Amino acid sequence: MELAIDRLTKNYGRKIAVDRVSAALTPGVYGLLGANGAGKTTLMRMLCAILEPTSGEVRLDGKDVAAMGPAYRDVLGYLPQDFGYYPTYTAAEFLAYIAALKGIPRAAAGKKVRELLGMLELTAVADKKIKTFSGGMKQRVGIAQALLNDPQVLILDEPTSGLDPKERVRLRNLLSEYAGNKIVILSTHIVSDVEAIADQVFIMNAGRFIANGTVQELARQVKGKVWELTVPREKARLWQEDFTVASYRHEGENVVLRIISEEAPDPAATACEPVLDDAYLYHFGAKEA
Amino acid sequence: MELFALEHKRLWRTPRVWICVLLCFLYSVIWGSLMWYQWLGFGTMNDGTDIYGNSFDGYTAIRDWQEQFSQFGDHWTDETFQKIVADYQSYDLYERPGIQSMGDWFVAYSALEKLYPELQDPENQRYQPLILYADTTKLTDFYQRRADLLEFTLEVAKQNEGMTEADKQMLLDMNSQIEEPWPYQWTQGWTNLSFGWSKLAPYLAIALGFLFSGEWHNSTAPLLHTTKYGWKKLARIKVLSGMAFALELYLLIAGGKVLLQLIYLGTSGWDLPIQYVRLLAVAPWNMLQAELYELAFGLIGVFGYAALVMLMSALVKNNVLALVFSLAFVYVPDILYRYLPKWLLAVSQYLPLVGSSYDIYGYNVFHIFGLSVWSPWMLITVPFLIGVVCIPFAILKWSRRERV
Repeated sequence: MELAIDRLTKNYGRKIAVDRVSAALTPGVYGLLGANGAGKTTLMRMLCAILEPTSGEVRLDGKDVAAMGPAYRDVLGYLPQDFGYYPTYTAAEFLAYIAALKGIPRAAAGKKVRELLGMLELTAVADKKIKTFSGGMKQRVGIAQALLNDPQVLILDEPTSGLDPKERVRLRNLLSEYAGNKIVILSTHIVSDVEAIADQVFIMNAGRFIANGTVQELARQVKGKVWELTVPREKARLWQEDFTVASYRHEGENVVLRIISEEAPDPAATACEPVLDDAYLYHFGAKEA
Repeated sequence: MELFALEHKRLWRTPRVWICVLLCFLYSVIWGSLMWYQWLGFGTMNDGTDIYGNSFDGYTAIRDWQEQFSQFGDHWTDETFQKIVADYQSYDLYERPGIQSMGDWFVAYSALEKLYPELQDPENQRYQPLILYADTTKLTDFYQRRADLLEFTLEVAKQNEGMTEADKQMLLDMNSQIEEPWPYQWTQGWTNLSFGWSKLAPYLAIALGFLFSGEWHNSTAPLLHTTKYGWKKLARIKVLSGMAFALELYLLIAGGKVLLQLIYLGTSGWDLPIQYVRLLAVAPWNMLQAELYELAFGLIGVFGYAALVMLMSALVKNNVLALVFSLAFVYVPDILYRYLPKWLLAVSQYLPLVGSSYDIYGYNVFHIFGLSVWSPWMLITVPFLIGVVCIPFAILKWSRRERV
């Protein structure tokens, strides 16, 4: 199975939201990293075939997904960024309704709904109205609906928003387990979400993929550009104004800054091992990210 | 079928929808029919000044009136006419105030004013109605006088309102099919067959206006669009469930009204000609036919309007706008009737739930492809066609890809 993104472009008048994006996705977990407004959601919607591209196309195993219609939607699971629900529905009712829309036979749907409610630890609240749920619980209902049809292509737009750290870890584990021979694409601006599970990461800015690779590859790209420097606390602000500072750690009267820079920011700075966060900040800069 | 059942259930369980249905039922059936028959319309008048002072005895009062007027014969002849006028003149209206609104004297009153103008007393300083003092022995040739007045009225319409000779002849031909003498029973109960269907518009708009736009409001549209059936099939199901809801609302209201009509008026009087309602009506219809037309007019109006509301809901992504636009179709022509050009006002009458079924008593004729078409047929055809046209556009609009 291959999901091919071929020079996908979306313009809104003169504004280019997605600019000739191409990629070939085979089974695995893909992380789409980018700041707000980078074009992630627009790209996701085009991948789901609910937004018509200005040019380019998305193909699943060589077939244009827009032309595939219900056949594509049958293998697609999607969690939109703003997951909507019916306030008066319970979690179980909502999932049963979406299951019917996905064409899942009633008996099979009931079983699947129970299974997913259990998997996402929603069984205890299955008969409670979604409007009474916390943000994290709502998000879990959203994830459950995306998984109802056991999709071959799972697209999750900001799936971890509203989740507490424990829930985020649980979701990561769930997706890792689920991926297997499926294509899972998740967009986020939280680096640690993709760092743990993504086989490949795309960094998107201004509608383009500006970097892609495995977490290690992306980190390697900034090798020699990540520095640690200990400075007096009162001077830390000056360094932040001049450089991209990835982290800021107090050590007695001093502060240890993790700085992203092409050159050593100071003779006293020491090079350190980069992580994905550093690669992200390298491309975006602390302020933009 | 399962999807339809789920969508239909979803529509009904929305608090907004069942509150609308409940209010509509209370207003139209309980207040508009039950209270009307039992209290406001047919309850015995106590002082004749205020219907809210009526007794709560409509059921027995109607039976009394039906009994009382059966003494005047079972056909409307000159003799019946004379007896009814004499009967009216025998009452002391100070003793039984308000009684004139309950009996069938309104028929006699209307006939006297229109067919026997020569009996008017020019010296009548107190402006008393003719029925109070008309010489009953001169109330003869009722049907001939009616025929003459109808001929004259249509001729005036021909001269002044653009009616053609063919139209006039068509209407006269219709009139000639009315059998004479007319059967007669107490008719007062049948004089207001109009159900006032336009009152359903706000309830339909509130219930169905959010059908598509509500998905944008709830942010569920992108999600639904990515499901296997969330594209065209859901749109069709939504329209179908919207139509089913409209039909259910219609059946609830129409059924309630007809049931109460049967309880209060019984079945006697179904065969009375509608000319008792409007003396110069030309349609050779009885009350049952008029009521069936009324029901068909309502059903088609509800169908057409429901489709129009769903189209508005699919066209805009905003609940409030969908509601405002839907209501505008019904109420803007009413509000702006002073300012709209006459032709536009006439055209607006053919929008669903806007026009009136009262045209069955009128003479409006349209010329379409060389055919003369009596307006009541247009009033049930055009709203139906509007509904038929709206449905595919609503489906198409929802089925189009999301535009961000």
